[in-house]
Amino acid sequence: MKLLLVEDDAQAAAFLKRALAEAGHTVDLAASGRDGLLLAAGEAYDVIILDRMLPHLDGLAILRTIRASKVKTPVLILTAMGGIDDRVEGLEAGGDDYLIKPFAFSELLARVNALARRPPTSDVTTTLRVADVEMDLLKRTLTRAGERIELQPREFQLLEFLMRHAGRVVTRTMLLEGVWDFHFDPKTNIVDTHISRLRGKLDRGHSRELIHTVRGAGYCLREP
Amino acid sequence: MFRSSSLRLAALYTAGFALSVVALGAISLITTEAALRRMFDDRIAAESASLIQEYRTEGREGVVQAVRERDRTPGALDYGLQGADGRAIAGRLAGARAPAGWSVLSMGAAREDAERTRVLAARLPNGERLLVGDDVDRTEALNDELVRRLALAFVGVVLLGVAGGWGLSRGVHRRIASITGTAQAIIDGDLTRRVPAARAADDLGSLAATLNRMLDRIGVLMESVRQVSNDIAHDLRTPLTRLRARLEASLRAGDRAERVEAIEGALADLDAILGTFAALLRIAQIEGGARRAAFRPVDLAELSRTVVEAFAPSAEDAGQSLQLRAEGPLLAEGDPELLTQMLVNLVENGLRHAGPNARVEVRCKRAGGAPVISVVDDGPGVPAAERERLFDRFHRLETSRSTPGSGLGLALVAAVARLHGAEASLDDAAPGLACLVTFQTPG
Repeated sequence: MKLLLVEDDAQAAAFLKRALAEAGHTVDLAASGRDGLLLAAGEAYDVIILDRMLPHLDGLAILRTIRASKVKTPVLILTAMGGIDDRVEGLEAGGDDYLIKPFAFSELLARVNALARRPPTSDVTTTLRVADVEMDLLKRTLTRAGERIELQPREFQLLEFLMRHAGRVVTRTMLLEGVWDFHFDPKTNIVDTHISRLRGKLDRGHSRELIHTVRGAGYCLREP
Repeated sequence: MFRSSSLRLAALYTAGFALSVVALGAISLITTEAALRRMFDDRIAAESASLIQEYRTEGREGVVQAVRERDRTPGALDYGLQGADGRAIAGRLAGARAPAGWSVLSMGAAREDAERTRVLAARLPNGERLLVGDDVDRTEALNDELVRRLALAFVGVVLLGVAGGWGLSRGVHRRIASITGTAQAIIDGDLTRRVPAARAADDLGSLAATLNRMLDRIGVLMESVRQVSNDIAHDLRTPLTRLRARLEASLRAGDRAERVEAIEGALADLDAILGTFAALLRIAQIEGGARRAAFRPVDLAELSRTVVEAFAPSAEDAGQSLQLRAEGPLLAEGDPELLTQMLVNLVENGLRHAGPNARVEVRCKRAGGAPVISVVDDGPGVPAAERERLFDRFHRLETSRSTPGSGLGLALVAAVARLHGAEASLDDAAPGLACLVTFQTPG
């Protein structure tokens, strides 16, 4: 994928650029808000990573300008620790996701991958399908190999999130936010517990495991 | 002193008052003068009429006699009787040349102190002329007297206004100066100074009281900032030392596996330190109180159900149980995100300290109309003397020093509760501990 990274800290930017390149992405670097704005408006990117605190120009101001000029590229905002209103402000300004600094690189990578536009599917999808698992979003039913599987409402939501991101890594934080709407890190590892219960229901009696643990990052639902 | 706003106000007020005194005086002077003149004229006309009546009853001699007699009486009016052709017959005004009807004559025009006399000339039935007059200067003397008194009143009003304004503004000025002095002392670094309490319970007194309360609040915040920096210094020293040791160990590590392990350990330490920082910043922001904008009605029972559902499986895996007891919706005004985090902290706290096989219950109910969330465990509990301090930052029971946790969980609970106007408290649940958050009664 082609990414734009707007970050004024040269060292952090260089590190991120190298790491993203190692993960197979092409990265353009903008060290100032003005450069970022020019690149974002001029080039086609898959995802823009935007630091909120930039010298001279607020990251949110750039974001608003980008959105005002009809650039629809997904934007991941990097915000500072402790700003509890930053998330809402960032999303209101047109951001698609946010990440609090400092972060683990695996978290950034997973979110960038999740943000990239997938091949156009109709927005009114009512059925999700991965391997032999089929999820009916209207009837809220789930079958694997034609067999009905009963899930708790929250487990259903968890699996739906995994299926919507099928083939990509989702982190624990992404699941906490997307499934439970928890925007903080509990000390208890509740995600692992719920995943293990979901696995028990989904993969029991089947030779192929669909939910995979990605060490140091999170989980991934994909065909083996 | 001359830049004092109260003095300026008093001066303005005095000037306005003096101006109105002048206007009032002018009006009363004009009306008094007119009334006096009319009174004098009435008296002259009455005298003239009474002498004409005298002529009718006593005849001409009676009139002559009456004129002469009255001329001798002090304080009486001036009279004169003239023949039809104008020759003098009797009385002080006999020589005056007055036209018929009302007129003002100057008597003895050659002299400096010419007397001006108001004269009414009438004719007796026999054709002779009867003059009755009065000294005009007498009305003017009365008027002058009035002017003098009004001027005196004017001076009095101005003096009183200036003196009153001066005194008033001196009092106000002194009190404002004491507030200014306190503020200056605080700017100069003496944070313990307070505005002296006023005896009078007036607006300045309540201003002083409000300022003092504000200063107290600032003092508390300053103290808590100082406390936090001390706490950070103390409580982060241990994990930072450990982090440093691990990184050094990774440098010395013999093989790759050992190095990776040391670095992963260091990362875990670092995450714990960052977590502590994040929690501190969050608490500080919540205590800043800027989050009230995000308040909306929240169903505490629904929120509790989400949290209990999220944590129950982990509790079960650890051999514990987590239950919810709620009787229908429990509405409160608040920030759902912060309230969720508050409840998560309470639940995690309960599960962590109640030990294995513990039963933890989240209860949502109303107590006297006020919504109450409580998290009750059946663990070992906490001695009463220790309870209140559990809400302090970094305060940890000695027995739990070895278990993971930053010591900030309950501090955040207290901060969120305070933001919501709710009260966080701890109670004995015999044998366990009950953490209660009591919201305000709605309405």
